[in-house]
Amino acid sequence: MPVKWVLYWQPNQGSTVSTQILNEAAQCAESISGVKEGRWKATLNYYKPLLRDQSSTHHPDSLPRDFLGISLPDHPAKYYFIIRSQRIVVEADASIQIIMEKLQSYKSKVSLHFDGFQYHLGDFRLRVGRVVPVHSESIRGIVMEVEYLPISSMEKARKVMEEFVEIWHEALSKRSLSGKFVNVELNFGEFGLADNYTPQHTGVQYAIVMAHMIATVQPAVRG
Amino acid sequence: MECVVQGIIETQHVEALEILPQGLCGVQRERLRVHELTLKSLPNLGVVPSEVRLLCDLDQPEPTWTVKHVGGSMRGAGADQISVMVRTMIQSKVSKNALRMFYSLGYKLDHELLKVGFAFHFQRNAHISVSVSSVSKMPKIHAIDETVPVTPGMQIVNVTASATPENYGLCTCRNRLNPWELCRQLLRLLHLLCRMEVVLHCKKFEAKS
Repeated sequence: MPVKWVLYWQPNQGSTVSTQILNEAAQCAESISGVKEGRWKATLNYYKPLLRDQSSTHHPDSLPRDFLGISLPDHPAKYYFIIRSQRIVVEADASIQIIMEKLQSYKSKVSLHFDGFQYHLGDFRLRVGRVVPVHSESIRGIVMEVEYLPISSMEKARKVMEEFVEIWHEALSKRSLSGKFVNVELNFGEFGLADNYTPQHTGVQYAIVMAHMIATVQPAVRG
Repeated sequence: MECVVQGIIETQHVEALEILPQGLCGVQRERLRVHELTLKSLPNLGVVPSEVRLLCDLDQPEPTWTVKHVGGSMRGAGADQISVMVRTMIQSKVSKNALRMFYSLGYKLDHELLKVGFAFHFQRNAHISVSVSSVSKMPKIHAIDETVPVTPGMQIVNVTASATPENYGLCTCRNRLNPWELCRQLLRLLHLLCRMEVVLHCKKFEAKS
């Protein structure tokens, strides 16, 4: 599977994220000869534990507060769970969501869509998309996927990816936007993942990106 | 959903049971070596107490994992008309650290078993599986090489047919039958001729009597 980096838009201090940035990023992709291929969409759910006795203090702190699941457009039959604090990532069939519903021990408290357009640029595939809560148009953030199609090894693809991202930053800087796309360096080994790229790597990146986004990006009042 | 009939068979008759389905069903038997872990939710977790099973298929070059949720069996007037257990069942393949994930989510190991034997899988209106296995427990946690048989000299026969709420009637017997007739009906479902002289008890009826 090709190596993929997931970046997120970090606005400058005092700025918020908006649809305008998404539009500028899309135009930037086209300006560097990106061929629009169509739309893409992913969905992420944050889960919280259900407790029978809410007043009980019995082990609530031992249960994870960062348990999330994500479905990815390239693997519609699969679902990915990540518990970031425990460095756990699990791949399962999509039917695992029904099992979780049947167990009635965890409930999805927040659902987010990632959606936008994807572009083909030579050996790269680029996806730019907004992050919006389900049933809302209020934009929460912007993400970008950069995929290098010929290589599956993260280490071997590193230099090429870095060069592409540098070119991208340069092209985008001409649009005088108030922020930049950020790549978060990750130690995939902590999650038990190897150098060969897999969808589980994508799941982990999304979990980390969301954690950074929640911590640093102010939601727009209206997208 | 699935329809289930379970029984026990003396180990001395297993060979006969093994040969006949292989010849008449037209499928090869598959080896069965499954480590089954049953996890239960910690107190206060969940709207109701819950249970989930993790199955590790040890017969593969690289062990593969499945999560399985088994629901309650069908009850009521409809259930009395049929002589097999019908229950909800959902399963999902998972990657190898699913056990660690469930521990983190507040589930603990309740018990674990090792099932070793063989199985036949084929399609007749529904996906049908017939398995015969010895079931062992582990005196030490996860010690699959140090198991103790739960029922020495006896093995479990499990016949399951996956079903939907619309088609489970195709997999079930519509009349109240005695255990031997039930097994003949099932074996007919499996396209087998029931001339084996085996001792096959149907637990569902034993529980009622």
